[in-house]
Amino acid sequence: MVRSSVIGSDPTVPTIRPVITHHDAHRARVCLLPEGALLLAGDAIELDLTVDPGVTLEVVEPGGTVAYDMHGGRASWDVAVRVGAGARLSWAGEPFVVAEGAQVDRRTRIRYAEGARVALREVVVLGRHAERPGRVRLRADVRRDRRPVLVEDLDLGPGSAPTLLGRHRVLASVLSLGTEEATDGVDVDRFDLARAGATLWRTYAHQAHQTRLEDAWTLASRAALTGSD
Amino acid sequence: MHRDLVLMLLADARLPVAGHTQSGTLEPAVRDGLGADGVPAYARSRLRTVTTVEAAAAVVARHLVLGRGAADLEDLEEAWEARSPSAPLREASRRQGRALLRLARRTWPGAVALDALPPAPPRALVLGAVAASLELDAAGLARLVGYDDVQTVCAASLKLLPLDPTVVTGWVAALLPDVEALTASVSHLTDVDDLPAPGSPLIEAWAQAHAVTSRRLFHA
Repeated sequence: MVRSSVIGSDPTVPTIRPVITHHDAHRARVCLLPEGALLLAGDAIELDLTVDPGVTLEVVEPGGTVAYDMHGGRASWDVAVRVGAGARLSWAGEPFVVAEGAQVDRRTRIRYAEGARVALREVVVLGRHAERPGRVRLRADVRRDRRPVLVEDLDLGPGSAPTLLGRHRVLASVLSLGTEEATDGVDVDRFDLARAGATLWRTYAHQAHQTRLEDAWTLASRAALTGSD
Repeated sequence: MHRDLVLMLLADARLPVAGHTQSGTLEPAVRDGLGADGVPAYARSRLRTVTTVEAAAAVVARHLVLGRGAADLEDLEEAWEARSPSAPLREASRRQGRALLRLARRTWPGAVALDALPPAPPRALVLGAVAASLELDAAGLARLVGYDDVQTVCAASLKLLPLDPTVVTGWVAALLPDVEALTASVSHLTDVDDLPAPGSPLIEAWAQAHAVTSRRLFHA
């Protein structure tokens, strides 16, 4: 019903362990538990997650992740998600902090089927407090079946961040797929994507707790977990 | 007709496609605090992000209209939409596409390639079809998109900020190598799946804010 695999670059170094904290026949809650320090030069994290048709999966993270100074090295964080027909996924991502000197390829691929609902939160912080940004290439490829819904490639670093993010160092987003709920009215943080039922909220801030996306996340996760077709 | 002359015609600000209503999202950027010193860097940032997507989509559209690609223009339109999260920017592009298509149909009635376009095509697709009809090559088309974007931002800056037109022309000239770099990065593209996707969260956020304000000189 729910499969996930996590592959580090070296099987002997710490990685991420998915822990099932609750489950019944059609519903599960998984906590992504890091085993040791993440993310260091040479780490290649692959998170592969499949939610079978009709199943509801809630993914939580116990805390944020810091990509540390890699001293010229690099690391990758690769997420591939498949959500079957009528399945539900809510993934409450915690801040992903790219410290000065870190260089990370972060990829998110989502494939969802007709009738699936997805809520995904992502918070990327460039640099810990009072330090310069690290470098992160953020790539997203979201498709409903094979049709593209959101494709984006952001190369954020000390050089490009001022022109891509302005004065801010936090980029926070909530992605909601497969539901038209809660997209009425004017909200400048809300991007109504071209594909029906696909909505992106995105804001910028100086600090991770200032991103104004609590309401959007509440709406999106509720729609994904409790809505019915 | 010589291709250089066709390009000059299409790049001319006097072309009646309502180019004066566009600021390349400079107006909300200025409202958010972007000063005159920041305009060249802003134009350069556009060339590397949103304008790369625009130029690449135009180049691939030209290729498809010439009947050389397996995908169709609807696939390309979806790929462009997926790389254009801001609804106001998608709408502005379709508005400009409509004006250009109307002009092209009147000016070149024999351009049957324009009939291949989907309903309400974005500007990039119309530009690609026009280029295919008028035998412009892919590099010329990419230069047109890049140059037009730089001129749009710089011309708008003269209305929004206290600037000397000769200074601004100097900016345009200094940005020409960046237009050429954009041209080199997209003119070989033929496949919808290879369309680059360099977004710009800041430009997209400014476009959203601009769409809901009533105080504006420019449509987008």
